[in-house]
Amino acid sequence: MPVMLELKDLIASVGDDEPKTILNGLSLNVPFGEVHAIMGPNGAGKSTLSYVLTGRHGYDVLSGKALLDGDDLLEMDPEARAAAGLFLSFQYPVEIPGVPVMTFVRTAMNAQRAVRGEPEISAPDFIKQARLVANELKLTPDMLMRPLNVGFSGGEKKRLEIFQMRMLEPRFAILDETDSGLDIDALRTVAEGVNVLRDEKRGMLVITHYQRLLDYIKPDKVHVLSAGRIITSGGPELALRLEKEGYDGIVGEAA
Amino acid sequence: MAINIPELRQKFSNPGIAELDLIARYASLPEDERRGRMFDAFAETGLPGRRVEGWRWTDVEAAAARLDGTVAPVVVPALSQPHDATVFALSPTELETPEQLPDGILVHRRDVVPALAEAENIPMAALAGSLCQYKDNAASIVIEITAPLSAPVYVNWVGQSADTNFSRLAIVVRSGASLDLVESYCGGASLSSTLVELKLEDNADVRRSLFHAGDAHEIMTATALVELAANARFVQTILSLGSLLSRFETRIGHTGTGSNATLNAAYLCGADRHCDITTFVRHGAPSCVTRQMTKGAVLAGGRGVFQGKFLVPRTIGQFTDADMQHQALLLEKGAEVFAKPELEIYADDVECAHGNTSGALDDEQLFYMRQRGIPLSRARALLTEAFVSEALASASPAVRDALHDTAREFLSEMHG
Ligand SMILES: Nc1ncnc2c1ncn2[C@@H]1O[C@H](COP(=O)(O)OP(=O)(O)O)[C@@H](O)[C@H]1O
Ligand SMILES: [Mg+2]
Repeated sequence: MPVMLELKDLIASVGDDEPKTILNGLSLNVPFGEVHAIMGPNGAGKSTLSYVLTGRHGYDVLSGKALLDGDDLLEMDPEARAAAGLFLSFQYPVEIPGVPVMTFVRTAMNAQRAVRGEPEISAPDFIKQARLVANELKLTPDMLMRPLNVGFSGGEKKRLEIFQMRMLEPRFAILDETDSGLDIDALRTVAEGVNVLRDEKRGMLVITHYQRLLDYIKPDKVHVLSAGRIITSGGPELALRLEKEGYDGIVGEAA
Repeated sequence: MAINIPELRQKFSNPGIAELDLIARYASLPEDERRGRMFDAFAETGLPGRRVEGWRWTDVEAAAARLDGTVAPVVVPALSQPHDATVFALSPTELETPEQLPDGILVHRRDVVPALAEAENIPMAALAGSLCQYKDNAASIVIEITAPLSAPVYVNWVGQSADTNFSRLAIVVRSGASLDLVESYCGGASLSSTLVELKLEDNADVRRSLFHAGDAHEIMTATALVELAANARFVQTILSLGSLLSRFETRIGHTGTGSNATLNAAYLCGADRHCDITTFVRHGAPSCVTRQMTKGAVLAGGRGVFQGKFLVPRTIGQFTDADMQHQALLLEKGAEVFAKPELEIYADDVECAHGNTSGALDDEQLFYMRQRGIPLSRARALLTEAFVSEALASASPAVRDALHDTAREFLSEMHG
């Protein structure tokens, strides 16, 4: 399969006042149709990678490339990256007071459609689809009327991230520790929601600290990120080894 | 002519061109002792400027000097009104009244100029009081509400010229009566000052919703003096888009036990717009409640002012429950907000609080929204609308949606 997400020698720093280099020559290819997992110890730069790819202010790319289906992500505004089909399920979803979930998602959906030259979704179609997806993710209609993430529990917030992903149907999704804070039932629900979007036209990066999620979202490949670079890659068995041996062994081995 | 202009000028220190016009206008009106008192009170400060207490940030004197009389201010459309509403248009010369007034509304035209009591110390109120004169020798107009009304009452303040505009209106709401009052202030005069005196008798219930928009050639001040008798309920909501200089000043007197006031306001100021929300609440009776929420959003070149004061006297102010909040968003570099919240409390068994914040939109929220594909300008508009909407929730159901729409429209025009 051709490459969908191509990252080459990414060097990126964080912070406005005293920039600190976090990504140290990161390279990674995700072909169309594949799901890759990124595992690594705390502070390795996993979230930094997700913010660099989505264009968050304060995360500056010093050199290297990041292409999505051949398009240079680094040249685009965050909203343009989203319209190009890039989605991030945030490690820490942000509260948006005063903007109900439904309003928020519909605004986002139509904004993306406008950029792609597609017609807006009609209100009835939107509501129908939202109900369906919410039901699958065990979110109540009442939750969709509330301001986004305000007063939601950690697990509900993560399910809302997947709700948004399902509604927006991105071509490429990054899930940043979507499993943290989920009990086993919620984990299964979320994983099922994610698996629905797996097909040969899409790709995914699943960032996780634990192997557990990968029992439900089976990755094609596993990469270990440490100190800002991929130090080793392998198949799903690598995740099992990490779980057993811990990061210290593997990180030490690679060094 | 009995009024001597040179003598009048003596009462002002260094009158400017605008003040000389006001003197001439005053001299053209029928002589009246109370009118004279109010004009003398106005003369003490003249058009208030930065040296006058309470007007430091809203400098009428300086703005008046910048007024370009050759440009006629723009009249902004008033809020739409439901078919069953009673609509008054108040021009500087006349209150236009519907031919048939519904039961419960009476209009009285009086030829005496009412005194202004201690509100004379508000220079712009004294000015409105001294220069208001309706046709056919009516010096004052009183709307009396005698029953709970089923439909809203609109008062549209109409400016008539590029010149000046002064009017005064009294509204008395009798015991047990209720009123849903909507006022539009939509420009049309270079310099205007309006004065509303609202008296709520025991158990009266008034919801007052105000909308103001004006252009960059307009100075407007709107003063309201509100008296609340026992168990009266008063809810006020203002949406102002500002003008060259604008000020809504509301004075509330809780004069009977158990009265309740809600004072909400939202100001949205674009470039070259100034909006001032000033309030003074006196808890002159026990067990009264005041809830105040002012929200502002200001763009580059715009300026917002909030001045709030609660005065709770000893003994009579006992068991006061009062809360004052002001929150402002500075949406761009070059936006200005000035705020002065004050609590002056002499009673010991009270619950009084205030809060005052101003800041920018949250970068994390903006990034989150952009990550979902919402363009920056739209993200800013959505967040700002959500921010101010809390202050508009108390508006009359007749105009609540229209106020939200107006706010949304204003914000949709702002750029990323
Ligand atoms: N905004 C920031 N300012 C300064 N340092 C940061 C910032 N964000 C992350 N870092 C630092 O970058 C490193 C990587 O963080 P992060 O990408 O969040 O790690 P991970 O997600 O792998 O746990 C950490 O040392 C962290 O302290
Ligand atoms: Mg992280």
